Amino acid sequence: MHVDNLPAPPGTERDRAARPPVVTARGVTKAYGRTRALAGVDLQVRAGEVLGLVGHNGAGKSTLMRVLAGLESCDAGAVLVHGEEAPAGSAAAFGTVRMAYQETSLCPDLTVAENMWISSRHCLPRLGWRRAASTSVRRRLDEVFPGHGVTPRDRVEDLSLAQRQMVEIVRACLVDRLDLLILDEPTESLGPDAARTLYAYVRRLAEAGTAVLLISHRIREVLSAADRVVVLRDGAVTADRAAAGMTEPDVLTLMGAHVAVPSERTGTAHAATGDGTGARVVAELRDARGGGLHGVSLRIAAGEVVGLAGLAGQGQQEVLERLWRPARRDTEVSVTRAYVPGDRQRSGLLPLWNVGDNLVVTAMRGIARRGLRRIADERDVVRHWVERLAVKGGADAGITELSGGNQQKVVVARAFASTAGLVLLDDPFRGVDVHTKTELYRLIREEAAKGRSIVWYSSENAEMAHCDRVHVFRAGRTVAELAGEEISEERIIAVSFAESDEPDVPKEPGESGAPDRAAHGRTHG
Amino acid sequence: MAELLAPTLPGRARMRHSAPAAVSALALIAMIGVCSTLQPGVLSVQGLTLVLSATVPLVIAAQAQMTLMAVGDIDLGIGAFVGLVTVVTATKLSSSPLVGGLVLLGLVAAYALLGLLIHLRRVPSLIATLGASFVWLGLGLFLLPTPGGSTPEWLAAFGAWQPAGFPAPLLPILLVTALVHLLASRGSAGVRMRALGSNPVALGRAGLRPLTSRVIAYATAGGLGVVSGLALASQTGGGDVSSASSYTLMTVAAVILGGGSFSGGVAVPWGAAVGGVTLGLVSVVLSLLDVRSDLQSAVQGGIVLAVLAGRVLVGKVLR
Repeated sequence: MHVDNLPAPPGTERDRAARPPVVTARGVTKAYGRTRALAGVDLQVRAGEVLGLVGHNGAGKSTLMRVLAGLESCDAGAVLVHGEEAPAGSAAAFGTVRMAYQETSLCPDLTVAENMWISSRHCLPRLGWRRAASTSVRRRLDEVFPGHGVTPRDRVEDLSLAQRQMVEIVRACLVDRLDLLILDEPTESLGPDAARTLYAYVRRLAEAGTAVLLISHRIREVLSAADRVVVLRDGAVTADRAAAGMTEPDVLTLMGAHVAVPSERTGTAHAATGDGTGARVVAELRDARGGGLHGVSLRIAAGEVVGLAGLAGQGQQEVLERLWRPARRDTEVSVTRAYVPGDRQRSGLLPLWNVGDNLVVTAMRGIARRGLRRIADERDVVRHWVERLAVKGGADAGITELSGGNQQKVVVARAFASTAGLVLLDDPFRGVDVHTKTELYRLIREEAAKGRSIVWYSSENAEMAHCDRVHVFRAGRTVAELAGEEISEERIIAVSFAESDEPDVPKEPGESGAPDRAAHGRTHG
Repeated sequence: MAELLAPTLPGRARMRHSAPAAVSALALIAMIGVCSTLQPGVLSVQGLTLVLSATVPLVIAAQAQMTLMAVGDIDLGIGAFVGLVTVVTATKLSSSPLVGGLVLLGLVAAYALLGLLIHLRRVPSLIATLGASFVWLGLGLFLLPTPGGSTPEWLAAFGAWQPAGFPAPLLPILLVTALVHLLASRGSAGVRMRALGSNPVALGRAGLRPLTSRVIAYATAGGLGVVSGLALASQTGGGDVSSASSYTLMTVAAVILGGGSFSGGVAVPWGAAVGGVTLGLVSVVLSLLDVRSDLQSAVQGGIVLAVLAGRVLVGKVLR
């Protein structure tokens, strides 16, 4: 949105197509466990072109970049650098391919100059490298981001987010020969001026013959900066077009023409909350601000399944955090809560305990009498849930012996076995097989029908079809609220990418959260 | 806006990073002040020599601890290791210098090997170094079951060296700290070590092997441990495997007092030196103040906590 005033890319398509390819991906596939991240990608990045890569959550963008940068090997297919097959991790083959990471790959405790040594030490003298690194980083920063305010002696942790991003981009550019520069969401934390000067620099690089691969969810920026746009969906390239003449809606259509999974919504649960009348409100956020949120209002009624959607990291997890620990005055929760973490290995499982103990640990307090456990009752609860969800291995199996899907069943059952009135799901079904997912979706609907409320963050938009209402987040705000039939993958993709022209329009308080008006699914801003 | 803030921001940030060492230094000056009012002789060259000499091995051991804490590890075996070095010095090194020297080199290699194992087997350094401490202890008891032995003459001569004009203990303290500063703060090896403690992912992406960084750090720590043991032996004149057992936690406290952190990423050689001297001086002050010896440990702990609280407070003010 910041760079609409860039000059149109010079050069015609024909002479660009004639240039030699720098990096070529040929039938690249890559799977992580059961999740297939890339399903046969063919892609060519030619010298002197700016290639835009777009796609939604989980489309495989980051995996593809890592493969193209030689950080990860592919399962099948090949990556060619200058026409020669390059094995992953080979510094010789990928030495001229550099990548600026979205989350930055800087060491926060080190100074800017020291960080340059880490990544560009081949181009620095052995003695006096500190001075050489300082001069070159200062010169490059001045060139790309005038007025950056960074000195080479600053520690990275003392810099602002935007300054870190600048240093990261310059770090990737500092090399004696640069053939391909990969930019991953480079403007995410940059201001409009810095974004404009960055894209001007990108054009200069391309004119000098460097290929630039630009990944961004700011479609307009991609369209104005890139010569060619490639759309990635479900791990495959679905479109490869010249950027000239394309519009934002065109790209969105290419990204999201996807059939939503039929909903298993039960009529009763939906009817109970569809218009919000009569249902008791169990939790409410009133214009919540701070900690990554910029005015979020939402209301959750008893027996309702509310989805939090949008691109990853736009404030959804912060909302779950608020509901889990309602410490501030803008958050009100009147029932007990249970939390299902997404990262079961790190924050979900108690690896030394068996299935039964893992399952009942949250419910234990409710079952116990005066602080003493009641083993027989606990066992009944465990048996009920193990049978209901068909956990393989039974209650006495070690939790680590189970497959990922069954482990996830136990983690989900733990929350529902408790008496909690509000269950918070933090993207819990990533990497879980389809069969288990279907069972757990059904469980969620059944429990909602019994009057429990569920708030569900998911990075998979198809899952949102199981919700009564969906809030789509962007930059810590709700940009849309969808309900009922409006919930579809295309719709969610469209609103999560749509860029508001007036980013700071003050909203009427309580507007987006009011259930009586919620059924209309408007786009705010 | 950015241009306006630029000159002021880094100054404040840099102040924040050196604040802990500054707080410790203030505590150090205050303690020397207290000492000199109670015992005016302290401020003479001889007095300072007397007061500082006990802190030399502690400061060098603190540099070893600081090196490992810079990569995000912690060494719970440094006390026993320094003790073992004194034993080797008092037995092998005095009987046959060549064998003794080789044994000491072998100990440094053992430290490097320990780092290698910690990295490859992904054992927490806490556990591995604690396990190693029992090995050092056992080896020391095997070589010299009861404290004794005698240090080589050249080492004893160094311990007794009293130059005119400046306190002798200052020389090893400044020399070792300056060396560690060159290695850990200025040199590229130091950048690699601190990068490992700060963001190992970035290190790997840049094509640098974290294993090498860790092994360098452990070898350095082992070398410094040997120097610390030699310094201790030069003062005690003999070997005792448990003579430095209190160093393990004192060195951690010294690094923290000097501005280091448990999570790694920062190297504070000068801070660790100040912290080590401060800790060493506490007991001197307490004996000059006639604090009962059975209470000394408690008071010592209280002073350390007070300095740490001061560090936290200054950090908050500067944020």
